[in-house]
Amino acid sequence: MANSSYYKPETIALHTGYTPESDHGSRAVPIYQTTSYAFDSVQMASSLFNVEQGGHIYSRISNPTVSVLEQRMAALEGGTGAICTASGMSALFSTFITLCSAGDHIVSSEQIYGSTATTLRYTLKRFGIECDFIPINDMDALRSAIRPNTKLVFCESISNPGMEVSNIPEISKCANSLGIPVVVDATFATPSLNRPIEHGANIVVHSITKWIGGHGNSIGGCIIDGGNFDWGCLDEKNKKKFPELTDPYAPFHGINFWEEFGPTAFVMKVRSEAMRDLGAALSPNNAFLILQGLETLDIRMKKHVENTVALRDWLLSQNGVSWVRHPEMRDDSHIKAMFPLGAGSMLCFGVVGERKGGAAFINSLSLATHLANVGDSRTLVLHPGSTTHSRLTKEDMEAAGISEDLIRVSVGIENIEDIKVDFLNGIKSALRTIK
Amino acid sequence: MLVQVDELNIFVATGGKIFDPDLPTILFLHGSGGDHRTWAMQTRWFAYNGFSVLAPDLPGHSLSDGNAFSTIEESGIWLAKFLNTLGVDKVHLVGHSQGFLTALAFAEHHNDLVRSITAIGTAAEIPVNEHLIKTAETSRDKAAEMMCNWGFGPNAHQGISSVPGMQPIGISRAIMKNNPLEVDLRACAEFKRGSEISKNLTMHKHCILASHDKMTPMKAGLLLAKNMSVNPQIIQNSGHMLPIESPKKTLLALRKFIETIAS
Repeated sequence: MANSSYYKPETIALHTGYTPESDHGSRAVPIYQTTSYAFDSVQMASSLFNVEQGGHIYSRISNPTVSVLEQRMAALEGGTGAICTASGMSALFSTFITLCSAGDHIVSSEQIYGSTATTLRYTLKRFGIECDFIPINDMDALRSAIRPNTKLVFCESISNPGMEVSNIPEISKCANSLGIPVVVDATFATPSLNRPIEHGANIVVHSITKWIGGHGNSIGGCIIDGGNFDWGCLDEKNKKKFPELTDPYAPFHGINFWEEFGPTAFVMKVRSEAMRDLGAALSPNNAFLILQGLETLDIRMKKHVENTVALRDWLLSQNGVSWVRHPEMRDDSHIKAMFPLGAGSMLCFGVVGERKGGAAFINSLSLATHLANVGDSRTLVLHPGSTTHSRLTKEDMEAAGISEDLIRVSVGIENIEDIKVDFLNGIKSALRTIK
Repeated sequence: MLVQVDELNIFVATGGKIFDPDLPTILFLHGSGGDHRTWAMQTRWFAYNGFSVLAPDLPGHSLSDGNAFSTIEESGIWLAKFLNTLGVDKVHLVGHSQGFLTALAFAEHHNDLVRSITAIGTAAEIPVNEHLIKTAETSRDKAAEMMCNWGFGPNAHQGISSVPGMQPIGISRAIMKNNPLEVDLRACAEFKRGSEISKNLTMHKHCILASHDKMTPMKAGLLLAKNMSVNPQIIQNSGHMLPIESPKKTLLALRKFIETIAS
């Protein structure tokens, strides 16, 4: 079982958090398109505000449709609770500001999504939160980077775009032994392929815009509390290490989240503070659409992985393809251990003709879509050399780990033969650029 | 708040209000491997509505120091010291599962201190399968997994939560696996005097049972209610973990009983 449900993942994705009899027998999860919820009485209103009972007050804080998605995500990841947000970036930002205050420090993997790196490097710095970036699988580097004011270690289970697999068991062991929680962005993995909490991580964050939703129609994020970190731990001076969670919280009746909620202290603080202050709530309509995707996540991920392996092997045999990168092609033992069912459906490859060849490849595709997203059911491609990184020199791109010829592919669930035909056209075009 | 009993720090949840011994006091006792969070959805209501609330983590559990008691009788003796430390001279006792056995052990010798006693999801005696105890001795996590599987009813298994976004099974398992389950379960198994004590209770009494209780099955709960000479209140579609999985119904049942006595 996962930690919080005795159902298997496929069943959780379809059933957890909702039963038909509660809502006129509606089999599908209803969309509660409402801002707020009527109170039965003044007493009932007070009891909700005093946290005497659970319930919904205002959809910026919680919403019944969104809660079903949250409860499914918590169960799928084996967590104690979850909160959905308007986007993956707002999930990350909410996580960072819940654990860190001015003067605090974060250690992050150097191989992470560009927008996350920008948040950590620039935005949080403006608020007095510093971040050091390290090669995350180097435990000596990790130990050296942790300072007395470090509040979290951050990594992506499969990094974007480098596709490095973070060694979550080792990272968690190392960070936890020093009293630091590990936050993992598991967007590229999804709980179908890897559940970071089972490997020792403490908080999991997703952009559910991607494979979880899977249909490219809604932006959303999710934070899952592993319920497995001792927020009451003390630092080497015997002072509380996480006063954000263990000191009385004045705006909320002086509540002490750790004492009151224990294994859900973190996620309850996110809901009480970050959701209130940032207001980055997931819309109920988006939650409904993402739920439709989640319900078939498991079978989609199997097909994604199957197609990825087939496309990877086919690309390796093609004239005009210079190189192929996919996590499973590395020899690290932790990758197989963490991803027994396959290490995701992202791959990168290079074509002949460098930047020109890459552009020619993209321009010749008719089935795969050229855009800046991943995790759609459809195959998506991006050539950073002519889009996101087009203003960079060859040298600057190489410093960022991106070569001029790099094509990033989010492999979809179309028939693999159709994908190959499309890519073959692209490769032929790339070959023409060097003739 | 932290209270010192036998020179040990004991954590006591007071429902978000400062403890006032002059108000009618309700003492909530958690079950095996549990802690004060069992009562999160009941204690705050009482604390905000004219009562003082005490929900301790028993020694050796969660935020309290010390070691768990190896017998129910020891926990009953400790409870007397605990209440004495806080200056409480009259108390409503509410016990879930093993917590009710502790309440019984205390009430047997302190009838005069007990205003009322409420049994929730429990029985007069709780025989525990030896395999479960042995499992807890080698792996608390595995035992907690088994306990949560049996302890929670159909709604919780379906992932339904009274608190938006939360997973009650995951929360309980996280608490249980870090607490001395094996000691608690052994203490339950060896306590054989519950029937006798429950027949001789003279204070106000109440019994709240769960229709889908597999840990202390309904048959045993009904026998307890008979011993106590009360009509049990049965909460439908709930398992053993009543205060967590059916918090509103449990609170309403408790309120109805305790408010009637208080008035």
